[in-house]
Amino acid sequence: MLTMLAKILKVLNSQASPWQIGWAIALGLFAGILPLGLLTLLIVLIVCLLTVNLSTFIVVWGLTEGLMLLFATPLENLTWQYAQNDTLLQLLANTETLQLLHLHHTLTLGAFVLGAVLVVPVAWLSKVLVMQYRSRVMSSVQKWKLTQMLKASKLFALYEKLN
Amino acid sequence: MIRKSGWLVFIVFFAALLALVYLVAGPAIRLGMVYSLEKAVGAEVNISKVSLELAPLALRINNLQITDAAKPTHNSLSFGHARAALEVWPALLGYYVIDELTVDGLQYGAERSSEGKVYRVPGSDSEKIDIAQLLQVDLPDADELIARANLQTPAKAEALKQLAATEQQQLKTLQTQLPTKDSLAQYQADIKALTDSKVANATDLAAKAQQLQQLKDKLNSEKAKVEQVKQQLTQSKNSLQRAVDDLTAASKADYAKVQQLANLSDGGLAGISQILLGDVWGERVAQLQTLYELAKPYIPEGGISGPGNETAEPEVVLPNRILPLPGQPYPDFWVKTARVNWLIGGGEATIALQDITAQHALINSATKFSLDVKQLPQLAAFNLSGEFAVLQQMVTNLNWQLDGLNLQPLTLGKGDTALDLAAGLISSSGKLNLTDNRIQQQASVVLNAANFNSSGNKYLQQLASLLNQQQQIPLNIATTGLISAPEVSIRSSLDKILGDALLGEAKQKVAAYQAELQAKLNSQLQTGLAGQQDWAALLTQQDGEVADISGSIETMLSAKMADVKDQAKDKLKDKLLDKLGGGN
Repeated sequence: MLTMLAKILKVLNSQASPWQIGWAIALGLFAGILPLGLLTLLIVLIVCLLTVNLSTFIVVWGLTEGLMLLFATPLENLTWQYAQNDTLLQLLANTETLQLLHLHHTLTLGAFVLGAVLVVPVAWLSKVLVMQYRSRVMSSVQKWKLTQMLKASKLFALYEKLN
Repeated sequence: MIRKSGWLVFIVFFAALLALVYLVAGPAIRLGMVYSLEKAVGAEVNISKVSLELAPLALRINNLQITDAAKPTHNSLSFGHARAALEVWPALLGYYVIDELTVDGLQYGAERSSEGKVYRVPGSDSEKIDIAQLLQVDLPDADELIARANLQTPAKAEALKQLAATEQQQLKTLQTQLPTKDSLAQYQADIKALTDSKVANATDLAAKAQQLQQLKDKLNSEKAKVEQVKQQLTQSKNSLQRAVDDLTAASKADYAKVQQLANLSDGGLAGISQILLGDVWGERVAQLQTLYELAKPYIPEGGISGPGNETAEPEVVLPNRILPLPGQPYPDFWVKTARVNWLIGGGEATIALQDITAQHALINSATKFSLDVKQLPQLAAFNLSGEFAVLQQMVTNLNWQLDGLNLQPLTLGKGDTALDLAAGLISSSGKLNLTDNRIQQQASVVLNAANFNSSGNKYLQQLASLLNQQQQIPLNIATTGLISAPEVSIRSSLDKILGDALLGEAKQKVAAYQAELQAKLNSQLQTGLAGQQDWAALLTQQDGEVADISGSIETMLSAKMADVKDQAKDKLKDKLLDKLGGGN
């Protein structure tokens, strides 16, 4: 937990561009919502190829995977209810690529649609929040006792050293 | 914005992921299987190893043991190893197509090396077929026979009781509408007062005539009410009479039915096997409902037939959440061939299965299965074959032939009525067709070379001796109808043997039973008819009273009207005479 907090603070306080952090959060969320499969690998490939902040991506991916333990069943039920559309089913039946991406599976389809809808707004919102943080909160946070304690801890020193 | 080392990072990540899947998948699947199975059976489950083979893609399970929760020293099911070879391309598309499934060393009820833990103690084991229960022979008592015979008398008696209560209520309501003696006396007093009074002039005459008319109208209205009550009384009498006739007819029919069931009129016990074994066999057949429930989500909506379909049922959700694509390339799951090596009764049997799926329309073939067992220590031969398909309907066909199954010594009945079956060979053949939730089944079961002993009373010893003289004791079992409520017909020469043997002891019992049955039916008839005779008398009496009242009103009205008219005429005459006399 401390490591995770340290990672987040380190990234927020680093020189990484707000867009890099924003896209890392959005794509981490997208990868976390999706069940592990080819689509997840595609997102990982995008993250690897673009200069998206890797630490943030991994942290958000892990957190979202945890959250999906709660939300997977309702999302699956919702998709099952709304995906019974002849045109959509015909499209999925005729396109093997879509089946290869497991988009004929209710949870994958629902997660893909939800992720696709959320990715751009979340990236933009995260970028705005990072900028707001840096301009308004960062200096105060640096003075917090908790931050100083974290920075002084051996774990943080080790983390710094490894990075 | 492009990361130069991106591809390298991705390749490292991908390789790490593959290595992780390869190393962790086996143990992870093992843990998942143990957890799910333990949750399902409520007892310890052991799996030695689960491994994943990459080329060809296959899952191997070694040494699976499921503890029998009712007997923890034994397994309910176990096998040495199982291997499922998965086809890669369908797996990538998300369909589980297993090219070949093999299970070796499958055993039911094998002893465990150490006692297994039990997490959930099972309830009463109704799944096991209790042969002793199947062959239990007790003369049913009157209550039991009445309960099984689905008698009409109680229903008719209840209907009569309700009808009598309703009619009684209606009559009470109507009674309040009838003119009472007081009101009739009041009418008489009013008419008398009116007729006794003197008519002063023409205006007075007109007023009195009007009052008289009003009284007449009121009396007419009362008369109409009386008529209505008379009609109602007639209707009540008719409907009560019909109900009584129904009850009497039902009672007669019921008695005939019970006599037929127990065959009391012939002094024998034929049909007892139907009564005794019918329900038990029906319950066994009803267990096939489980198969139907499993297949039901896959049966097209239009294909499900039967009265069970009329009730609204909760929406069935498929366990596999693949959208129902038109022209789906593969079934959700499909085991192309399966071979199960079954260790049974000191020998081996092989079960061969083909095309296991629930979406047969997609592969245009039915699931076929066969089991062939020969020369086991306790069984000469057993052959079972059949097919199963879920198309527009779920259709299952099954044929079996069982020869020379050695019966273990068993005791039928308890205490004084215990009968020991020391040895015997069972043979059976039959066929079964299950279409959706409707069953058609024919089976013959023959007990050969039976050796019965009894240390009980002399009648049972006589029975054992008679049974031992029989070369064969056959049972013919036919079942039709809904699997949830099957109609079972069981016929056997065993009935006649039992009847003959038990006749000595049963004669008195049957006579007493017949009397008890007759008394019970009579008592039910009396309960149904309770008070009906009194009511009939009351209705007749009321009918008479109403007729009297009606008649007296009519007479009174006519008489008084005539009086008033005469009086009015006289007065008019006198007046005219006076006027004429004055003119002279």
